[in-house]
Amino acid sequence: MNALALAWIASPDDPAIANARPMDEPVAPDDARLVAAVLGGDDSAFAALVSRHKRRVFSTASRFARDEHQLDDIAQEVFLRAFRNLAQYRGDAPFEHWLSRITVSACYDFLRKERKIREQISLDGAEWDIRDETVENAVSAGRARELLAWALHRLSADEQLILTLCELEERPVREVAELTGWSESNVKVRAFRARQNLKKVLETSHER
Amino acid sequence: MNDKSESRLDALFAAARSEGTIDFDRAEFGFETRLMARLREERASSVSTWAWKLCPFFAAIAIAAGVWSRTTSARVQADTSIISEAASRSDEQLLVAYMTGDHR
Repeated sequence: MNALALAWIASPDDPAIANARPMDEPVAPDDARLVAAVLGGDDSAFAALVSRHKRRVFSTASRFARDEHQLDDIAQEVFLRAFRNLAQYRGDAPFEHWLSRITVSACYDFLRKERKIREQISLDGAEWDIRDETVENAVSAGRARELLAWALHRLSADEQLILTLCELEERPVREVAELTGWSESNVKVRAFRARQNLKKVLETSHER
Repeated sequence: MNDKSESRLDALFAAARSEGTIDFDRAEFGFETRLMARLREERASSVSTWAWKLCPFFAAIAIAAGVWSRTTSARVQADTSIISEAASRSDEQLLVAYMTGDHR
């Protein structure tokens, strides 16, 4: 045995040793095994899948929801869709990628539904207040997210989705194309048009 | 002018990113329990929905079975009466034949 190997064995501070799992500690099953267990009728396996991936789903959905209730609704919808379509998961891509596509699809449907509702109701006081704010004032007052949310709601669901994914989440065009099912060039064109429309909304609101 | 509005928009996006999103720690709490309860509820409701959807089918089967049993029993009744009539005639013929000595 050479000196390097001896040093590796002897070092108790080695992260590989420090992080090593004791023999009797159970190893968490991977996603594919959990999916197979869920398809076999094991509901607790689905709860384990949810626990493992919920943070990522919440993180994406929180860009689209305005409050906790909406966030909870979107996240529940994502996992219900995942449960219903679990048999269609082929396992050739990581489970989290498959779940991300479902998340984006659920968020898109949420935006479309929201837009329909907003067309039927009038603006509340808080929105009248924020729409007269300039970009500079909103940024300095820590209300940038609020102003952006107000302006985004003036756009179509497609535009809201593309701007949230490309600009707020800063996802690469290729990833956005995979998540939405649109081609890369289509994503670029849509993102450009959405930006132009958002600028118009912000400029006209400030001029008023 | 265009550059200015572009940079303003970029600044707005950057500020919105730095402000973060709504706090989802509370929404995460007990999420699995709520979700599994909703799944169970959905399953139960889907069973009852299917039962209601199948109601006309079962009703049609019951009606068809009723019609079939009615026509079958009518046919059996008709057959029975013909046989009994034939049997009663045969008894008479047997008695006449016995009396006249033609039964051998």
